[in-house]
Amino acid sequence: MEKTPENVSQQAAAAEAPLKLLGSWASSYTHRVQLALRLKGLEFEYAEEDLGNKSDELLRLNPVYKKVPVLVHGGRSLPESVVILQYLDDAWPHIRPLLPSDPFDRALARFWCHFADDKLGPAVGAVFASTGSEQEAAVRQVHENLALIEAELREGAFKGRRFFGGDEVGILDVVLGCGSYWLAVFEEVMDGVRLVDADAFPLFHAWLRGFEALDEARDTIPPVDRLLGYARGVRHMLLGLAGAGDGAAAPTAAAEATAPVPAPAATDIAVDI
Amino acid sequence: MSPPVKLIGAFGSPAVHRAEAALRLKGVPYELILEDLENKSELLLKSNPIHKKVPVLLHGDRTVCESLVILEYIDETFDGPPLLPADPYDRSMARFWAHFIDHKCAKPFMLSMWSEGETQKESMKESKENLAFLEEQLIKRKKRFFGGDSIGYLDIAACGMAYWLGVIQESAGVSLASGEEFPALRRWAEEYTSDEAIKPCLPDRDKLLTHYVANIDKYRLMVKAPPA
Repeated sequence: MEKTPENVSQQAAAAEAPLKLLGSWASSYTHRVQLALRLKGLEFEYAEEDLGNKSDELLRLNPVYKKVPVLVHGGRSLPESVVILQYLDDAWPHIRPLLPSDPFDRALARFWCHFADDKLGPAVGAVFASTGSEQEAAVRQVHENLALIEAELREGAFKGRRFFGGDEVGILDVVLGCGSYWLAVFEEVMDGVRLVDADAFPLFHAWLRGFEALDEARDTIPPVDRLLGYARGVRHMLLGLAGAGDGAAAPTAAAEATAPVPAPAATDIAVDI
Repeated sequence: MSPPVKLIGAFGSPAVHRAEAALRLKGVPYELILEDLENKSELLLKSNPIHKKVPVLLHGDRTVCESLVILEYIDETFDGPPLLPADPYDRSMARFWAHFIDHKCAKPFMLSMWSEGETQKESMKESKENLAFLEEQLIKRKKRFFGGDSIGYLDIAACGMAYWLGVIQESAGVSLASGEEFPALRRWAEEYTSDEAIKPCLPDRDKLLTHYVANIDKYRLMVKAPPA
């Protein structure tokens, strides 16, 4: 876009407008946006949503999905975490970019963000919602997905990097990082399930430790004991509603059932990465 | 001088059309390599080992997979009219609606066409709701296209609505909406499919219809299968 004096000042004015984030404390998608805002050093107002009793504001601002997170900037609302992250870069291009500058590197970052949300996330969710042989199959799927990422770290697009973004965290670190903490939490909740083995996925493991050590990540990711309590509750509810264990159906069933307060609908549970 | 561009595609794929449309609008010459998806080539399997799908853009030694990722890559790499809007919020909403089309619209539409009974009924209801969202977006903009006065990223992303929807409905003998419904989308579809840059990369309608009719049993079986 051409930087005429007029649109530079429009952008500057827009950048000054207040930011508000509607989110949920246990939603990894919400964490992505909180983390990105912190990395960019942007002030924002945060509004916690009770996903079992969604506010009129949320339903109005995200009529398509009725989900968190939703970012409101200068009166305009944006849902979908990966869309929001790219918006933050477009609206504040000079502050700590989340996407690389080269078009091909950007394409790679976007591809892997989609992989995280379309493949890895649902696979992890499936592990959490199932038992027995179904769960074993889901665990294998998670391992296959992690192996692909491990391969990129070892010899592919992200070879030799400290973070997916390079020396600094970028969009893919934020997307994968805010959600990967569930891997260890789920392992704890479900005895005998190994999701992210340090021996099988040494580079992914090392990256995750590095990510979780960042100040901004520590400020954003809830304490492990809170996550554990939450996960135990969800697991209990999913298994209770699934009955004999049609794993794939459980999240939908949970969403339709009258969930005991304050358990959120399963479709909102950010169990996917 | 930019290295040559090749596009691995397949007949009838709306995702492949997206990539072709973008290249044509930017005036970028490219070689189209057509795949037989029942018998995928070494090149395709090597270029997109993770998903093994088309389209795949080959630009010099770079490989870009996934149609929406390819659209942005084309927009950012080549000169020519911008595909995404300039305003950050409008860019984001274009991305949002493209994601909506791929993630929320696709499955209910397929179920509307190829399932039966209660599932089909529910899916048709959901598909119409989805179309209503897009109709609303088009009306709000008060322009010829989602992208404004000229075709942009979201128009290209929505190509399935413009062309494939009609063909597939005809092949399945299922009609989602009456002739009166969604007038803005109908007008837009007409504008999009008759555009000089777009027309040449739309698959022949008769051939496409034949393709969908021939494969209908396969699609009906596919929607019965449990989610992958």
